Amino acid sequence: MKVKKNKPKVNLWARVTNPEDRHPFFDQIEKLFENKTGVAGLIIIALFALTAILAPAISPHDPDENSLYDQLKPPVWNEGGSTKNLLGTDDLGRDMLSRLIYGARVSLTLGIVSVGIALVCGCILGALAGYYKGWPDNLIMRLMDIILAFPYILLAIVIVAYLGPGLRNAMMAIGIINIPRFARIIRASVIEEYEKDYVTAARAVGASNRRIIFNAIFPNCLAPIIVQASLGFGEAILSGAGLSFLGLGAQPPLSEWGAMIAQGRSMILRAWWVMTYPGIAILLAVLGFNLLGDGLRDALDPRLRD
Amino acid sequence: MSVEHLLEIRNLKTYFDVRGGVLKAVDDVSFTIEAEETLGLVGESGCGKTVTANSIMRLIPIPPGRIAGGEILFEGTDILKRSASGMRKVRGNKISMIFQEPMTSLNPVFTVGDQVAEVIQLHEKLSQREIRDRVIEAFRLVRIPAPESRIKEYPHQMSGGMRQRVIIAMALACHPKLMIADEPSTALDVTIQAQILDLMNRLKEETGASILFITHDLGVIAEMAQRVAVMYAGKIMEGADVDTLFSEPKHPYTIGLMSSIPILGIGKKEKRLSTIPGVVPSLFKLPQGCLFHERCSVAYTECGQIEPPMIDLGNGHIVRCHKYA
Repeated sequence: MKVKKNKPKVNLWARVTNPEDRHPFFDQIEKLFENKTGVAGLIIIALFALTAILAPAISPHDPDENSLYDQLKPPVWNEGGSTKNLLGTDDLGRDMLSRLIYGARVSLTLGIVSVGIALVCGCILGALAGYYKGWPDNLIMRLMDIILAFPYILLAIVIVAYLGPGLRNAMMAIGIINIPRFARIIRASVIEEYEKDYVTAARAVGASNRRIIFNAIFPNCLAPIIVQASLGFGEAILSGAGLSFLGLGAQPPLSEWGAMIAQGRSMILRAWWVMTYPGIAILLAVLGFNLLGDGLRDALDPRLRD
Repeated sequence: MSVEHLLEIRNLKTYFDVRGGVLKAVDDVSFTIEAEETLGLVGESGCGKTVTANSIMRLIPIPPGRIAGGEILFEGTDILKRSASGMRKVRGNKISMIFQEPMTSLNPVFTVGDQVAEVIQLHEKLSQREIRDRVIEAFRLVRIPAPESRIKEYPHQMSGGMRQRVIIAMALACHPKLMIADEPSTALDVTIQAQILDLMNRLKEETGASILFITHDLGVIAEMAQRVAVMYAGKIMEGADVDTLFSEPKHPYTIGLMSSIPILGIGKKEKRLSTIPGVVPSLFKLPQGCLFHERCSVAYTECGQIEPPMIDLGNGHIVRCHKYA
């Protein structure tokens, strides 16, 4: 006979794996892992993030180191390539691979900062608009409409032209033009949640408006925000590269993918690799975030659940 | 003022300005609640019970709603004159509310323990440990088994009855003087309903809180309340203590309600369940005179012209009907 043991100890692993006992958060994580494209996105982003973090350790050369003897060397598998510069060099003899690796740092920072600005401002504005309705709603949302009415990149150019070119100002510009996307999503979710009984219940126990918005309603609107943040990350990287390509973002000698493409533009027939590899890097990074965003949407959106 | 009531509502008028006119959801309602008493507020759907409750808590959305007149005296001071922050100190602390829908009244993303803790945190300055002890004490009070582990659960992990207990625990957490229970048992099945009602009766004895009990179920009222007020189309039609109301209802509407309670085995004698003819009048088109005269079985001609005043029959029994003038 088996003797039943009483174990009052909390089994942490069971909190994660046992379907009856675990936190709902892990249900959604599991849903994400069931989604193949979501996992693919996650892997790409993880590699991307690791590259950015470990850049000094894994890059073979200093990204800003010039070499007069190694100008426009082709990649290693091409005729004339060497193992010294695996992906070749640019017109100043700088190692392409090292510059790409350091470029991941710039792009990741750009994504975090600009999405951060858009997220914080957009959430606050959208939540206030959705909660108070009436004139604050009209004022905030019409302002958002005005921002949305401008062509995306044009408005960024205007903002950067006003603030002055540079990576920091480019990040701010991308942040500002992304505010309306977040504000709209939050507003819609807050309006939906506002009607629920728990909001009345929170008011009935004496919670202030601020507390109701940010402590009661906001956590219930997180799912669409997470999805939008993930998708917005990819888009921010793309617009950052676009601004840098136009010379309004990262300034030389900073290795930024968009700036690298701009730099290699004139040499595309002679040295295709200077322009191609940064393009592939941008493609992969944006693809990774978009795949993750789609995977998160499938995992988090209750309307898409069976 | 000779007698201090815990809650005294005088001529409360809550109107809603909507397209097409003014909805008089609560029109000239007066009643009192004494300490350690349960007042039952009965009426059909849409008669203004919930609006009355929300007016006391000042939870009416303004606009479109507005409190057009009257006073709500709680412990001698007018709630309607309080500032927004002054009102927050009353809500959940002195007066608390129990909602109808246990399924949706709890926030799905927080543990039930955190939600009860939040109420205490809002009104009292206590350390985390003290708050946790108070939460567990509240859970014990509402007879939730194993409170130490249940405080860590999320609402979706609990049954309807358990969630309603959590909501009651939230309402009791700060030891309020008055609890407003807005159909607390309607959404529950009958056995759980009986448990919750029994629990509320016991909690009233233990904590000494008064209860304003809102329901459309006369059977529930008989079990819960000491005094009853019957509401119809925004007005109080009859008020009495529970024994008087059930033994000798005076208003034709109350009599109609009583006779339309189904009795087990009624079909055997081939007697049909009696009903009140007609429907509740639209708040947009209230009839002239007595609000009930179109459906009344004993209406006089004057019922259609003059609105009857509230008539005191003595012994705390009041009725709004020309029959007793």
